[in-house]
Amino acid sequence: MTPSDLDAPPDAGKAEATAPEQNRKSAAPPKGKPIIELVNVTKTYVRGKEPLTVLDGLNLTIEEGAFEALMGPSGSGKSTLLNLIAGLDRPTSGKAVVAGNDIGSMSDGALAKFRARHIGFIFQSYNLMPVLTAVENVELPLLLTKLPAAERRKRAQTALRVVGLEDRMDHYPRQLSGGQEQRVAIARAIVTDPTILVCDEPTGDLDRKSADDILALLTKLNTDFKKTILMVTHDPAAAERATITRHLNKGKLE
Amino acid sequence: MIKLFLIAARNLKRSWFRTIFTIAGAAVALIAFIMLRTVLWSWNAVSEYAAQDRLATRHKVTMIMPLPKRYAEDIRAVPGVKQVAFMNWFGAKIPTAPDEFFASLAVESNTFFDVWDEMVVSPEDKARWLADKKGAIVGHVLAKKMGWKVGDKIVLEGTIYPGDWEFNISGIYKASRKSVDDSEFIFHWDYLNDSAPAEMKDQIGFISIRVTDTSRSAEIAQAIDRMFDERDVQTATMSERAMNLSFMAGFSALLTALDVVSIIILGIMLLILGNTIAMGVRERTKEYAVLRAIGFEPWHVRFFVIAEAAALGILSGAVGVGIAYPFVNHFVGRAIEENMGAMFPYFRVEPTTAALAFVIALGLAAVASLLPSIQAGRVSVTDALRRVG
Repeated sequence: MTPSDLDAPPDAGKAEATAPEQNRKSAAPPKGKPIIELVNVTKTYVRGKEPLTVLDGLNLTIEEGAFEALMGPSGSGKSTLLNLIAGLDRPTSGKAVVAGNDIGSMSDGALAKFRARHIGFIFQSYNLMPVLTAVENVELPLLLTKLPAAERRKRAQTALRVVGLEDRMDHYPRQLSGGQEQRVAIARAIVTDPTILVCDEPTGDLDRKSADDILALLTKLNTDFKKTILMVTHDPAAAERATITRHLNKGKLE
Repeated sequence: MIKLFLIAARNLKRSWFRTIFTIAGAAVALIAFIMLRTVLWSWNAVSEYAAQDRLATRHKVTMIMPLPKRYAEDIRAVPGVKQVAFMNWFGAKIPTAPDEFFASLAVESNTFFDVWDEMVVSPEDKARWLADKKGAIVGHVLAKKMGWKVGDKIVLEGTIYPGDWEFNISGIYKASRKSVDDSEFIFHWDYLNDSAPAEMKDQIGFISIRVTDTSRSAEIAQAIDRMFDERDVQTATMSERAMNLSFMAGFSALLTALDVVSIIILGIMLLILGNTIAMGVRERTKEYAVLRAIGFEPWHVRFFVIAEAAALGILSGAVGVGIAYPFVNHFVGRAIEENMGAMFPYFRVEPTTAALAFVIALGLAAVASLLPSIQAGRVSVTDALRRVG
């Protein structure tokens, strides 16, 4: 996706919300080159004196353009896996290659640049900066680029149009509904045109209607803009939107 | 960077109450600091702004012991001496306002305003004064305060020279130099000497000397003192600045105390700013983690914290200086000059003091943010964003 690709119809983000009957699980998984490859990955934390293995010899390949859901009970390691793929953490052992980058061998600075370039984050609780307007929140990741101010603002506005919030650009988060806040967060995630969208319970704080809108938007980003999406969720309805659903239990994929 | 700074500064809007109270607290501390520094500056100004080409000769032991009047004539003959004026401290009190303190000097009439030419008096006033033995020239601040006008007849009470002394107000002077008091009362030494008790006649307090060449001041001072080495009364001759400093040395403990208090005030200001910044950082740990997650590096987060603190410092500095400057210069300063002009002839906030206070506010805010910024930069992204998963 390029910035110009972000131009979207006015009803973008809502169009597919009316089609919950679509079950993409039945569709064949996309056939592309692997963009995420985890080989025998283990992640162990030391809490107090006891080591705690959260991911245990995990192998996973996700292809470019996939929309995958990751489910599992609390404590199963979903968020840890998401953090590893997003470059927020490193594996204790094994190899994690994301968008051609070996996460385990990268410095903190390199990981920060990797996240800025390749990863778009969508959190459960939106995590927008309350003192910034919608368009300023979306513009935030672009401050790490060398783009001129006018170009940054233009791209942020385009991203907000993609998520259907062109009429809320100058609103502060407190002036938006939960669903709208999450859309702003999605615009912030896509504004840098990242390789992968990492979603951690993106509908967890939303009502059903808003959740469906967000899921429709994610589906659109996957189908129309070819974004690879990895989504952690407890919500079976959300998982149904993904082309592949994986289950994690006690640090292992089932 | 400017954009990041502006974003960081907007964090101050999150809690208006906290921001306003922090700025108010820091500003009050800054105002107190500015006033203390102004006291110290004003005190030192008396010596800093002293005339470079003026010497003072006093009794070698102490300035309260008198010199024989004839010494002035001897000094006049020393090569390099341009003009001489002797004088006595009179110690006048106003019977109707006994608590009013002002410098009252009986001076050598013909030469005084040549040696002290920064006390500017009009030729008409000066001529009137010279023609009237009971005439007095009064500083404009004192005259305004007491409501004295040229032509008024007043009576002062002598403390060193007891009795009631009649004077005619002949003129008003205005100082053209910051080190000169605008509240002095100047009258003829002859009037004092003629009416003084026998044992106090022909005695003078000290001698002001104008030299022709500033670079020879030390040499001339030594020559004067050498001249009186073999006499009954020895002298100590020094530059006007040194004389003022020797007078101020008696208050050195007080000045040191003021210095200490001003440092304590800065410490309080540091704590006020540090507390607010630390609270803000604690509350925004998750936001910093989000910034890190979307690609910002630890130094960006540290910059955010320091920039927010700097914005707080700038606002505190602006408010503190913005209040202190007019408050001191238009109210406190005038009151002090009118009531304590002998010690603080010029009590105003200097631009350098205001600039120093502003820079200190900014610097303290930056210092106060150092630890919180380091903590914010070290925040564990995964811990801060942790959810059981």
